[in-house]
Amino acid sequence: MVILLKSSDLSLEAIKSKTRGFIGKNVLFFEKVDSTNTIAVDIAEKSDEGTVVLADSQERGRGRLGRAWISPPGTNIYMSVIIKPTLGNENITLITIMAAVSCAIALRRLTGLDISIKWPNDIVLNNKKLGGILTELKIYDKKIIFAIIGIGINVNVGIDVFPEDVRKIATSLRRETGRVYSRNEIVAEILNEIDYWHKFLNEKDKNILLSEWQRFASTLGREVMVVTGKESYRGLAESIDNQGMLMLRLPSGELKRISTGDLKVLK
Amino acid sequence: MELEELKELIELLKETDVTELQIEKDGTKVKIKREKILSSIEIPVHKPSVIQEKASVETEDETQRLVTITSPIVGTFYRAPSPEANPFVEVGATVIKGQVLCIVEAMKLMNEIESDVDGIIVKILVENGQPVEYGEPLFLIEPV
Repeated sequence: MVILLKSSDLSLEAIKSKTRGFIGKNVLFFEKVDSTNTIAVDIAEKSDEGTVVLADSQERGRGRLGRAWISPPGTNIYMSVIIKPTLGNENITLITIMAAVSCAIALRRLTGLDISIKWPNDIVLNNKKLGGILTELKIYDKKIIFAIIGIGINVNVGIDVFPEDVRKIATSLRRETGRVYSRNEIVAEILNEIDYWHKFLNEKDKNILLSEWQRFASTLGREVMVVTGKESYRGLAESIDNQGMLMLRLPSGELKRISTGDLKVLK
Repeated sequence: MELEELKELIELLKETDVTELQIEKDGTKVKIKREKILSSIEIPVHKPSVIQEKASVETEDETQRLVTITSPIVGTFYRAPSPEANPFVEVGATVIKGQVLCIVEAMKLMNEIESDVDGIIVKILVENGQPVEYGEPLFLIEPV
């Protein structure tokens, strides 16, 4: 594995000059990795909270259920942030809410674009996926040992690198605006937001996180289809509960709590 | 009244059909009451054969020996890292402590559940893709 300090526009120095808190104080920068999450999981236990694994490209970037995350070099952001929150098991899903809020706020501030969150934490622009977040947890004896927040943001990638079926649902900042964005700035801004928002990962402050999420959510009040495990449900995405789980109003009138799933907004 | 005396009275009561006894001695009132025990009523039941009894005793012992792996979170249970991949474990598989048995996902938090013990997978209690609750049993493992 090669550790490089510079890779095209990505620069550790530039990022460090812009980060303010302890999230991102220690950034491990790789030109090419299998997956930043895989490395982060390997090193997490012995690493300080706030350590970040950043890569210019991933050979096996992954999303939910082993799905591939297209990760070409020189264009996008692939990073994994190690946090070690002291959260009860009933509140761990707040990590997903926190990560989504951090990315949405950072990207909105830097770009001025109407970037929103699709439940639970897809980063969406013009109804297409701009970024994805996948968190891997290690729990031992009912305590979180660490959480790895894997973040992929399509920044300057062109449409041609996506396969046909992905082009319909994914996009990048450049594709939507025609502009090229600084990856260093976006990385630093997201890390600064995580540094701020991760302090709200507790019972007392969780409602602040949940209401921030709702401020940027494009899912609520919409007719949606959710595929969860072997089941699929259609209904009105009414609200989220105090863990961030989706409360779906089914046509029968029943309110169903959804913990997991692929969500598609119908109208 | 001495404790020993009280114990004797209770024992005495057990041997009779009397359900309530009230005694006053040296200014102390004692009332002993017991519920009618159902088993003392004759109910015609099918008596299991000796072999069946033995089998059920063995099962009980076995259940006590087995280690149950439960879900630490509410979410969806996956037996494999992706739909195309092989399951992490099958029934009969030997596992070691710390080995990944399954994933439980909640809101894109992937939680790999590890074995607490060295042992053999005796039973997988949840189907792939099913929702699970907090504390729901997922696997039975016979420690070795």
